Amino acid sequence: MAVSAGFKSDLLGSIPSLRAFAVSLSQNADKADDLVQETLVKAWDKHESFQPGTNLKAWLFTILRNEFYSQMRKRGREVQDSDGIMTARLAVHPAQHGQLDLEDFRGALEKLPEDQREAIILIGASGFSYEEAAEICNCAVGTIKSRVSRARSRLQEILQISGEDDFGPDAISAQVMTSPAD
Amino acid sequence: MGHKGNMKDQNKNSAAGAGRHQAGAGDPLGPNSEIGRKLKQYYNDLVSYEVPDRFSDLLSQLEQTESALKKD
Repeated sequence: MAVSAGFKSDLLGSIPSLRAFAVSLSQNADKADDLVQETLVKAWDKHESFQPGTNLKAWLFTILRNEFYSQMRKRGREVQDSDGIMTARLAVHPAQHGQLDLEDFRGALEKLPEDQREAIILIGASGFSYEEAAEICNCAVGTIKSRVSRARSRLQEILQISGEDDFGPDAISAQVMTSPAD
Repeated sequence: MGHKGNMKDQNKNSAAGAGRHQAGAGDPLGPNSEIGRKLKQYYNDLVSYEVPDRFSDLLSQLEQTESALKKD
């Protein structure tokens, strides 16, 4: 069966998120683009195994992630770009958001183990559900939940964000109400 | 080509819809969370980078290879 024009344009449309995920995983812009390239070739070759109407983005993310880990195994994890130059090289980005601490956040994210980083990216940024993330990472939903929670605590610790808990403003008002001096 | 548009929308909807059930005050990475906000900012920043031509070139190449094979 021929690859449809629709499939091609859907692949094109998903490149920005694939690149974002690839950079988040590999923390290296060149490697990220190689990963995306490999993912597109694989997706093209096995387009018949994709079921139209299901989540193409999740399917592509799964391919990319598998590619990332198999490359990492092959290379024996040699090159972890530790200079933090990776995202800086990704492209010349015209408008800075004027947010100084995005760099700090990037650095903190880099310190997380891959499994935690990918989990918190999939859930907190890529818009996947826990179930979808579990499928992408080929693990249990509970595993994703615990990775996300560990990633979040670790980020809070590194960035020294305090006073943030799982219960939002309700917990704060609860504290106010239960803390009169008695 | 209507089909193509539909598929895209479906994908988008399913991703957004799936994320939505965890939004709200109880969502540890939701809008009330500093980490959650930073995470989205970091990611959206990456998504907004311009896509190099090498990728559309690659897809056109794959397409050409395929149609060349079909003619043989």
